[in-house]
Amino acid sequence: MINLKVVSPQKVIFEKEVEMAVLPGAEGDFAAMPNHSPFISSLRPGQMAIMSSNKVDESFFVSGGLVMLKEKVCEVLVDQIEPLSDVNSSNYQQSKTYQELEGNETALGTFEQVVNNPPYK
Amino acid sequence: MPNLKELKNRISSVKSTRKITSAMKMVAASKLRRAQELAESSRVYADSLSFILSSLAGNTKNSTDLPEILTGRENSKISLLIINSSDRGLCGGFNSNLFRNAKKWISDQQGQGKSVKIMTVGKKASSFYKKTDLDIVASFEDLNSNDRQIQVSEEIKNKIMELFENNEIDEVSILFNKFVSAISQEPTYQSLIPLSNEETSEDESDANNAIFEFEPDKNELLEYLVPRNFLTQIYRSVLESSASEHAARMTSMDNATRNAGDMIDRLTLTYNRTRQAFITKELIEIISGAEAV
Repeated sequence: MINLKVVSPQKVIFEKEVEMAVLPGAEGDFAAMPNHSPFISSLRPGQMAIMSSNKVDESFFVSGGLVMLKEKVCEVLVDQIEPLSDVNSSNYQQSKTYQELEGNETALGTFEQVVNNPPYK
Repeated sequence: MPNLKELKNRISSVKSTRKITSAMKMVAASKLRRAQELAESSRVYADSLSFILSSLAGNTKNSTDLPEILTGRENSKISLLIINSSDRGLCGGFNSNLFRNAKKWISDQQGQGKSVKIMTVGKKASSFYKKTDLDIVASFEDLNSNDRQIQVSEEIKNKIMELFENNEIDEVSILFNKFVSAISQEPTYQSLIPLSNEETSEDESDANNAIFEFEPDKNELLEYLVPRNFLTQIYRSVLESSASEHAARMTSMDNATRNAGDMIDRLTLTYNRTRQAFITKELIEIISGAEAV
């Protein structure tokens, strides 16, 4: 199990033990698992998926940020995060993330794409 | 002899002042709790960010590889000071302490042959520095909600990045009242450009132990990190300053309430004495009148 800690500039969003987390790294998606080599990467907009036994348990949209991996800790510093369980193709335009991303066309496009057809299901 | 009616009015006016100050104290106390929570919960992000930044900077042995915006320019001529004041008064020495401190800092900088520019946050600072002949590059007011605090931090960050790139400033420091405890706040400077060393050295041993891989490469990461770091540091100082403001207001309003209580006691004593003196005088008049008959 790896300790996944998701932090926004305002507060700690959650912190829990997970088997695996898939993150949208700047140069491609990667999976955070225990004993990954120490690693720092920025994030591109995309889906963050918490997985166990090849199944997605929880799924989020992140608008960007940073991730730091070492041993059994995975710290994700996010700009904006939205649980995908709360949004669907009809209401995502009302979400806080959508309003915050106003003007950022690429991120909004990715958000729409992730909501309608997440890469990890 | 004091006038009875006048005294009575005085007492009632001091009583209503006491009501106001004690209400303000209560409001400040509850706001302080919220501001403190905010300041504490934002600390996690700031700490992680500065850890990442220091492991990045620590990994680059040759400091010339680092961008100017981290290390500062060699011949720095112009310093920018961001002053975090409050929007409202009635908070004791909160603002005047800050301004006194800033004045010293400014004359120090000028002594070193640098020119100083000012950026003000809060109405008090902007009205204070308008009267001086210092160069004010920007003023921000009405930081009354958390959303607004975030927005202002963002604007400040954009402004300093822009000024730095246009070579209009070489150094940036931020001055704010650091929240030490509910009864003590301390004017504190933090250097943004160049990046203050305290923060890097704190985690240095730790950061150097783990050798991180970086993706994308360091320079691209720094491009993302540096503005983030500014934003976080500015946001943090704004939050600290707001917690300090409420703490300062709470203490000063507590004092004011107590002073008003003392004043009421003293005035009531005078009032009773005066009233008694009137009664005694009247009695003497009656008695001496009766004796004369």
